Amino acid sequence: MTDDQRPPGQGVDRGGGSAAGGALGCEDAMKSVFEYLDGELPPNYSERVRRHIEMCKRCYPYFNFEQAFLDYLHDRGVKPARSDRLEERLRTLLGEVDTEEAEGCD
Amino acid sequence: MSEKREGFEAEALIHLDGLYGLALRFTGGDDAAAQDLVQDTMLKAYRAWDNFQSGTNCRAWLTTILRNTFINDLRRTQKRPVPVEFDEVAERPIYPQLQGTDPEGRFFERIVDEEVIRAIEELPEDFRVPVVLADLEGLGYQEISELLEIPVGTVKSRLFRARRRLQQRLYSYAVEMGYIRRGE
Ligand SMILES: [Zn+2]
Repeated sequence: MTDDQRPPGQGVDRGGGSAAGGALGCEDAMKSVFEYLDGELPPNYSERVRRHIEMCKRCYPYFNFEQAFLDYLHDRGVKPARSDRLEERLRTLLGEVDTEEAEGCD
Repeated sequence: MSEKREGFEAEALIHLDGLYGLALRFTGGDDAAAQDLVQDTMLKAYRAWDNFQSGTNCRAWLTTILRNTFINDLRRTQKRPVPVEFDEVAERPIYPQLQGTDPEGRFFERIVDEEVIRAIEELPEDFRVPVVLADLEGLGYQEISELLEIPVGTVKSRLFRARRRLQQRLYSYAVEMGYIRRGE
């Protein structure tokens, strides 16, 4: 595992967590919120985070909040846009490719 | 109209608006650049149309072409990237201010689409591109790291900082509009 992949706080005991795979503290859980929600944590670490937030009154609503934000970003961000000018220009260019290819066959 | 052209119009051209939206997000709202990007994408797709398996996911295929075209252009034209300065306030989580009043983030739903889109498009390029790839397109860190040729750790830090900036901006907007009251 490279440094890039190491979950934050892993191996550094901050009271609540132990490197051996025991209970995780709030600080460690919160630090990996995005990696957890993105599904990017190593499976065993992800499982420890899941176990923590399931029973933590502080972290559970926080993780829900960040998930709501990410869902919202995705839903609104992928909005299509319309341009008649672009479509028109594109149709002309496709026609040019058609002509070019038809000539190429001769 | 040729059979090829008919097939292309029916399966590919119908995704034009979706691709144009994505191109605008990638280019940070630069309309001319977005139009060029979509045009290049569609022309490449049309020339390669014989390789496309009809009935498979055409939108995904076009999106991949668009993404690769954009990233190649980015690499080609990249001036020395200006590192985005860390902004203590702009990159703080907003949850602590909301946990008493709106812990479920309902205020997000009241913000108009245009504001969210503007917020994404106005991010500095180094932040915007990872957000588009991860949050709009759903790519993983590793894939983004390979596409942009930057370490996974850099992908993560840019993505997380970008998300915080977006949150802060939407939060300020919502406060300004009176959707929520500023917490302490
Ligand atoms: Zn906790």
